[in-house]
Amino acid sequence: MPGVPRATYLPYPFQIIQGDKKIMMVYGFAEASRTVHMDKDNPKPAPIDSWMGRSHGHWENDTLIVEVEGFNGQAWFDRAGNFASNTLKVVERYTPMGINTIIYKATIEDPNVFTRPWTISMPLYRRLETNARVLGFKCVEYSEDLLYGHLRRNRTR
Amino acid sequence: MKTKQIALSLLVTPMSILLMGTLIPGLSRAAEINYHHVHITASSPTEGIKWYMKHMDCSSIPDRSDAADCGGVKIVFIPQPTMGGTQGTGVNHISFSFPNLTTKMADLEAVGVYGTGVRLQRFADGSTLQAIPELFKIGFIFDPWGTRIALVEDQEYLGFHHIHLSTVDPEATLTWYQEFLGGQPASLRGQLDGLLFNDVWMLASKHTEGTPAPTKGRAIDHIAFEVSDLDLVTEDMREGGVNFTQNPMVPEEARTSARRAFITTADNVKLAIVETGWAGIVTNRVSSTESNTLRKQYEPPMTPWAEPDIQGVWTANSAHGIPLERPNELLDIEKLTPEEAAARRERRTLGSIWGYEREWRDTTLGYVKTAPSTQVAMIIDPIHGRLPARTKYGKAQATREHEERARIDSRPPAGPEDLSPYVRCITRGLPGMMMPGVYNNGLQIVQGPGFVTIQKEMIHETRVVPTTQREPLSENLKTWLGDAQGHWKGNTLVIKTNNFNGRAPYQGSSQNMTLIERYTRIGPNLLEYQFTIDDPLIWTSSWTGQFIFDKDDDQYELVEYACHEGNYGMTNILSGARAKDKEIAEATR
Repeated sequence: MPGVPRATYLPYPFQIIQGDKKIMMVYGFAEASRTVHMDKDNPKPAPIDSWMGRSHGHWENDTLIVEVEGFNGQAWFDRAGNFASNTLKVVERYTPMGINTIIYKATIEDPNVFTRPWTISMPLYRRLETNARVLGFKCVEYSEDLLYGHLRRNRTR
Repeated sequence: MKTKQIALSLLVTPMSILLMGTLIPGLSRAAEINYHHVHITASSPTEGIKWYMKHMDCSSIPDRSDAADCGGVKIVFIPQPTMGGTQGTGVNHISFSFPNLTTKMADLEAVGVYGTGVRLQRFADGSTLQAIPELFKIGFIFDPWGTRIALVEDQEYLGFHHIHLSTVDPEATLTWYQEFLGGQPASLRGQLDGLLFNDVWMLASKHTEGTPAPTKGRAIDHIAFEVSDLDLVTEDMREGGVNFTQNPMVPEEARTSARRAFITTADNVKLAIVETGWAGIVTNRVSSTESNTLRKQYEPPMTPWAEPDIQGVWTANSAHGIPLERPNELLDIEKLTPEEAAARRERRTLGSIWGYEREWRDTTLGYVKTAPSTQVAMIIDPIHGRLPARTKYGKAQATREHEERARIDSRPPAGPEDLSPYVRCITRGLPGMMMPGVYNNGLQIVQGPGFVTIQKEMIHETRVVPTTQREPLSENLKTWLGDAQGHWKGNTLVIKTNNFNGRAPYQGSSQNMTLIERYTRIGPNLLEYQFTIDDPLIWTSSWTGQFIFDKDDDQYELVEYACHEGNYGMTNILSGARAKDKEIAEATR
């Protein structure tokens, strides 16, 4: 699974489903998803570390602020292998700029890896195709050769 | 030593064992208890009795559906969620003695773990038993519920042999049990000092890692001693400085009138002193019921945008064990008894998890599963509860698939593609992904205007279902989970899904399948789930199954089931397959 914030800037669509108690972010890639808990006044720490972390959200005016912690420290930021540890904390800001645009900001803080917090920012554009939807991106089949190729009867690696 | 009328018993939970012993000569009357039937909530005494009968030579007891007799010592099973096995607590294991341990261990090894839960503990050299000089042969196994059992070959004491304590100070501990509970000091074959309660030993070893963990909630929850006069015993104990965690009383919610008191020893071993029986543990989780009347009466809450609110965390643990088709022997049965339902779920659990340790189960975390459903079968249409007849093509296809499977299974898997999409962590397919399993049964539903998301914990898949009409996908675009379109019909969310790629079939369904699902909240905590499979290529008519999800927000949260990321099983399966290849090649050379 891609982790946060990488899931946001992967070149695959994701969908935000906005409920009254939770907000779901559903990514096509690797079937990753996040539950943004909007209904927890006193967020408890994540019961267990995970790839996608545990997300707690609240509103500041028009901006959705999501604090994400409880990472397992295994996800990367990019293919070059830039990384964080399990002390990573990401604070995301989703601010609508119009009906089809959101400005996304994410502040990355991880005292074990970085000397100071740093922030990324990018616009997110709504997909306007009339049949747009998140299609499952099952990545397992693409990685099986890398992971198990040496264990095939006819080795492929 | 004071003379008291005491019998030793041992409580092992869930699937807990209450050993009501007639352990001291002349005390048999004290051990005759009026034991009310125990309500089953989490596990199955039936399966516990079966296991101990099959593997420990215990026998059933007439009129008792909760107990087995193990050579004069009764074992009573009480369902209760477990917090883990016995190891690490102050009661390390219990022990049974067999006349020929070599044969016994070989038998158990041959039985294997599949469906039986017999798990052998091997010594460093790979053997399953060792001879201790001057003592006896010994080997260790675990029952399916996490109780460590020592098997010994002691001709003098066959059957239930001993309870082995793990304690900070073995000598002081034995003295304590001698003084307050009347064990007779004795030496086991002149080698080990212990106590005898009638002809069952109590042994104690040094606990090497600090203080033992509390037994409370573990596989052996506590050891219970049955006495004829509780007041007399507790008075003596008080005089001796023993503190009671519960004074003699009949708890308010108790199911019998038995008076009981509890102690926690210095080694965190919970002891019960019981006068006329033991009442079991009461849990309050409701049982899910299938009820059409409920559906008619119940008006579910609405979302702010005026749709029925089915949001929350639901689990299908109650439905685990319901077979898809009505079994032949249950043709005339409307529903199972709670005991039968509990036994069925436990059988399914044992069959599913092979020899997994007790700790593997989610109840280890203190999670209480909803009582098992008494529903006989999932299929409600056709009304006889069996799949409809297959078409000519469907029959031929089933034969083809069967032959293909047999061909693949005739050799060790060549690569991941020879294994199912589930084992490969791709998907359980539809409606397979909705089906209850032995663990990770969480279902989270979040609604937003125009969409419902349905997330299943196993193996982490989230479906996004529009509730307003969306432009359908071209029929040429097929996916693992298909293309879903939902709408609300009254209080029911109806989801129609097609465009399946057919690679994760359900009961042999094809890629032409149309799946209709109906989600109806029929009570505050009950979500009725119906699935209708319409696949005219395979079956001569459509068919429908049904079960209930139970609301579980108050104690359950979905975990991130990172299946593929943690699929070490695949590496192990394939490396094992290559080793097997090599074996076969060498054998045929």
